[in-house]
Amino acid sequence: MPERSVTVRVNGRDRRAIVEPRLTLADFLRSHCRLTGTHLGCEHGVCGACTVLLDGEAVRSCLVFAVQADGAEVTTIEGIAEPDGQLSPVQAAFRDCHGLQCGYCTPGFVVSLTAYLRDHPDPSDEEIREALSGNLCRCTGYQGILKAARQAAAELGAGA
Amino acid sequence: MELTDVAATGATRYAGRRMHRVEDARLLTGHGTYVDDIDLPGMLHACFVRSPVAHAEIRGIDTSAACAAPGVRAVYTAAELNGDAREQWHTSVGRHSPETPRPPLAEGRVRFVGDPVALVIAESRYLAEDAAGLVEVDYEPLPAVVDYTRADEATTLVHESHGSNLIGELAGAPMATLDEAFAAAAHVVTETIYQNAYVPVPMEGRGLVVDYLPATGELTIYAATQAPHEVRLFCSRLLGLPEHRIRVVTRDTGGAFGQKIMVQRDEMCLMLVAPKMGAPVKWVEDRQENLVSAGQSRHEHGAVQMAFDADGAILAAAIDFVSDCGAYPTPWPVGTAGLVGMLFPGPYRVPRASFTAKTFYTNTVGRSAYRGPWQFETLARELLLDIAARRIGIDPMQLRRRNLLRPDELPYTNPNGLPYDSIAPLATFEQALEMLDYEDFRREQAQARAAGRYLGVGLSTYVEPSTPSFDYYATEAATIRVEPSGKVNVYIAGGSTGNSIETTVVQLAADALGAHVDDVATIQGDTAVTGFGAGAAGSRSGSMTAGAIGEAATTLRMRIVAIAAHKLEASEADIELVDSRASVRGDPSAAVSLADIAATAYFEPASLPPGVPAGLEASARYTNTTPFVWVNATHLCTCEVDVVTGRVRLLRYIVSEDCGPMINPNVVEGQIAGGTVQGIGGALYENLVYDSDGNPMTTTFVDYLLPTSTDVPVIEYGHVETPSPGPGGYKGVGEGGAIGAPPAVVNAVADALSPFGVTVTRLPLSPAQIVALIEEAGRR
Amino acid sequence: MKPAPFEYHRPETIEEAVALLGELGDAAKVLAGGQSLIPMLALRLTAFDHLVDIGAIAELTGIERRDGQIWIGAGTRFASVEASPDAAAGVPLLTRATRLIGHFQIRNRGTAGGSLAHADPAAEYPAVALALGAGLHVRSPRSERTVAAADFFEGLWTTSMEPDELLVAVSFPSWSGRCGFAVEEFARRHGDFAIAGAALGVQLDARGRVTRCAIGLLGLGATPERAGRAEESVVGRAAGEIDAEEIGRLAMAELESVPADLHGSAQYRKRVGAAMVARAWATAVTEAADA
Repeated sequence: MPERSVTVRVNGRDRRAIVEPRLTLADFLRSHCRLTGTHLGCEHGVCGACTVLLDGEAVRSCLVFAVQADGAEVTTIEGIAEPDGQLSPVQAAFRDCHGLQCGYCTPGFVVSLTAYLRDHPDPSDEEIREALSGNLCRCTGYQGILKAARQAAAELGAGA
Repeated sequence: MELTDVAATGATRYAGRRMHRVEDARLLTGHGTYVDDIDLPGMLHACFVRSPVAHAEIRGIDTSAACAAPGVRAVYTAAELNGDAREQWHTSVGRHSPETPRPPLAEGRVRFVGDPVALVIAESRYLAEDAAGLVEVDYEPLPAVVDYTRADEATTLVHESHGSNLIGELAGAPMATLDEAFAAAAHVVTETIYQNAYVPVPMEGRGLVVDYLPATGELTIYAATQAPHEVRLFCSRLLGLPEHRIRVVTRDTGGAFGQKIMVQRDEMCLMLVAPKMGAPVKWVEDRQENLVSAGQSRHEHGAVQMAFDADGAILAAAIDFVSDCGAYPTPWPVGTAGLVGMLFPGPYRVPRASFTAKTFYTNTVGRSAYRGPWQFETLARELLLDIAARRIGIDPMQLRRRNLLRPDELPYTNPNGLPYDSIAPLATFEQALEMLDYEDFRREQAQARAAGRYLGVGLSTYVEPSTPSFDYYATEAATIRVEPSGKVNVYIAGGSTGNSIETTVVQLAADALGAHVDDVATIQGDTAVTGFGAGAAGSRSGSMTAGAIGEAATTLRMRIVAIAAHKLEASEADIELVDSRASVRGDPSAAVSLADIAATAYFEPASLPPGVPAGLEASARYTNTTPFVWVNATHLCTCEVDVVTGRVRLLRYIVSEDCGPMINPNVVEGQIAGGTVQGIGGALYENLVYDSDGNPMTTTFVDYLLPTSTDVPVIEYGHVETPSPGPGGYKGVGEGGAIGAPPAVVNAVADALSPFGVTVTRLPLSPAQIVALIEEAGRR
Repeated sequence: MKPAPFEYHRPETIEEAVALLGELGDAAKVLAGGQSLIPMLALRLTAFDHLVDIGAIAELTGIERRDGQIWIGAGTRFASVEASPDAAAGVPLLTRATRLIGHFQIRNRGTAGGSLAHADPAAEYPAVALALGAGLHVRSPRSERTVAAADFFEGLWTTSMEPDELLVAVSFPSWSGRCGFAVEEFARRHGDFAIAGAALGVQLDARGRVTRCAIGLLGLGATPERAGRAEESVVGRAAGEIDAEEIGRLAMAELESVPADLHGSAQYRKRVGAAMVARAWATAVTEAADA
């Protein structure tokens, strides 16, 4: 199976590797880039724990092959906070509202919500629920997550 | 200072507050360390070959093609691996318990679809999976026992050496002792309640990395587990390796809910492989493996009866409970089944009770623990109470009000001998109803019915045994070290898989020492630096960590106060510890920092007061002498049912819980919420299904449906606070949501459908099942 | 759950793509959005020696109004359709159906052509294409042709395309006049595949009589279904006099092989399907009447 060279700009840095075509973007990020914040919860595109931004759009990185991301820009959870460690409004909201417990689904939620609020700055509660329905959580019962989303929307909206 | 009085001097500052979690900084930024994040030089990857048939003889295994596949280092079968197992038993069960034989890899027979048959070790998981597909196993199928309700009559035995498919049974007082009560009863209500199989589904599956160094004979295990020390102990027995040569490290685990309490066969295989490979080996199960082979739960039924007098007072309650335990239950499930029988009377005044509890083997995945493993008792009882209320013609809340234990009746020994204390069932019950405005809802319901809409309300109330004190659960240790600079490290066994134990430990320790919370950190989950602990199970962590920290902190406080008094030339009784400073009461200028006190203790021992040893570190092991710390709560749920499609929409969801004082209300509410939504899932969405041949039908998230953000109501919390006799008065809160939720939801749906004459006795309530119930009731 | 190995091709033109398909035949599979294919590869339910990724072919993306139709390139992402004013104006039924597909992360990758070629009977696009009589434009090394939707969906996950054919675009006729459109589907959870659903369009004349009706059904057969007799039964009648539930019943009565599975029996699906048709009818007629 001929391997291919890929170059992906991850969190602002070019990453080059020679990979098998079947290597998923999720595994490329985790093992080749050593960015283990993107998690594998199901590997069949349902749970959303692997969500990253691909050219700015939230996607399930287990459903993209690394070779498909050649030349693209990827933002992972590690690229969401400020370089000095300051949490983004979405991350801070999760912390404030107890939106995480084990933390395994959290990167997927944070990335998904970051993209969603960027494109929908004034969502209703119902719209937030629908937007987040593609990410599964087992610990929080979604209560803290929905509160966090509301807080982040308010803060980002206020700043707009 | 009293050992239980963790904040004797100075006000409690952190316990009771909604503090930010110390775990969040790393988890929110993608810097958690879960097992799959561990990457060691030369690390290899494991993949199991699993049986595709439910029951078969293994006639032969050909691993030659797999061994020759690219990147493959080894392929093991039972012949090469199982013989290395010296002893395998779980500490809480003991060496001599009548356990199911658990061969690491299937030996001679496979007993469920997913049974591990061979283990491939390769350079990557990709290559390991490729090679696993090349292992050829010659199966000679046998009849499979799939229906646990008929396992008793089946001629095929799941475990021939056991001689029967009945794993074991327990019983209370015989049914005959209730004959008189039933004969005299004005009302007798009898039903059989069935619960579906559903499972914990942590977002992270099981997994571990084993790293054995032949030169030193040391084994390091990075594990996804609720009990790192038990992993070490189990492994030491399994391999015949001295315990002190094994180190288990758990940093972050992505949920567990009981599925990661016990070492299971797959993990045993990795431990056995470790000394053979000359390189670290990682195994992380994928989602399909988790749904097929990590263990099933909740699959059970109970024939239940209650006798009532003319006013609806309960005269007697009986349950015949039967549980599906699959092929390899871990651990021995009979005790938990007995607990179902014993708890069936719940927080009610029940003069007489009887129970039998039976557990059966089937050719399905073995039963594993799941949040409140005995919760069937609440499901069965609360469903029966609502059914009884409808038949007798009393409002279901009124029926409960009549029978719930009053404060003046506590402590109370239930008819099966369980001694309840420190609970307030009536208070949580009334609070929940008040929060809903029950009368108002009934009016709303009546109006809706007139308009052709079907609303319903359902309640459940339960009492729960937390913080067990038997076997290895009985103690918990803490080492607290005030470092030379005055910062504090708390070493405690841990086992957190999302339960926020790092945060609550920091809160408790900061209070206990009068330190500022930012000056306190905790190290957990590493057996090399923490004392043995049974881990996070049985909703024990709040009480046990409070006890351990309280005892270790007491020792240190005495020294800190003595050193401060000596430095400030004041009397010890006047020293206050707040915000990492010791000061003289009434004279804030007379103060010395914990940093200065520590520096003295470590570097100027000659200037310490007489009798105070050098250094500022202490270890203590707390022993819990209360058999159980009792908790209780009431769940109250309203819903609307679309009777055309069968869809259930949950409207309001109220939990009034009495978990005693709260260390961190965010954590308490989060635990309740998580358990509640798992319970909602089990009642309405989740169903682990096998076909009649024992083939699992729900092996991915496409078919096994977890609730999403659009499926859950906003959960409202009421808090009643009855302290336990234990440290800080804390009680357990981790499991209750999963106990209270399914019956509250089911009762709400049944109430909504009562105009149709529907009786709900079988879960799950999928839309199709609800429609079937309506149609069937219409035909009667 | 890792896929089996495959060779990967990323052609940049349609010609290159169909040439590859011609050369590789059954050994090759087109990779579009990957939201349906990649899970199947990960679960090793299927495997191909070659994947032909059409994601780099610029000609395959785009939404265009042309001759009273809306043309959508097969590689166009659902998210683009969802956001397109041309699509919303020209084929509102499709826009509304798009919002129901999965979750927004899926819609960022999944493509119009991928959904149609995958031909899942519970998916939205096949049902909409069938209802509106869309044209499916396919190309092979040998030829270009247009397949009517009615001839495109042959069986479960099976279309009438040859192994060396690539779906390059789909064209939807635009309706004019007093129209109303609705998609009603019933799924276990938000974003799940429909257990039963209806994609419905209705057109009224100035007096409120039905001049046109299209009803596509999802989840109610091995392929998307068209409730032809229900459609015929309403044409010419006053919309206000038509009983929505009757349309639903009629639509279900024509169905021959309604699926049954873990989530419901055939009878259950028909009950739900009837309700979906009825609800879609009521919504669409209200919109048309207000138009």
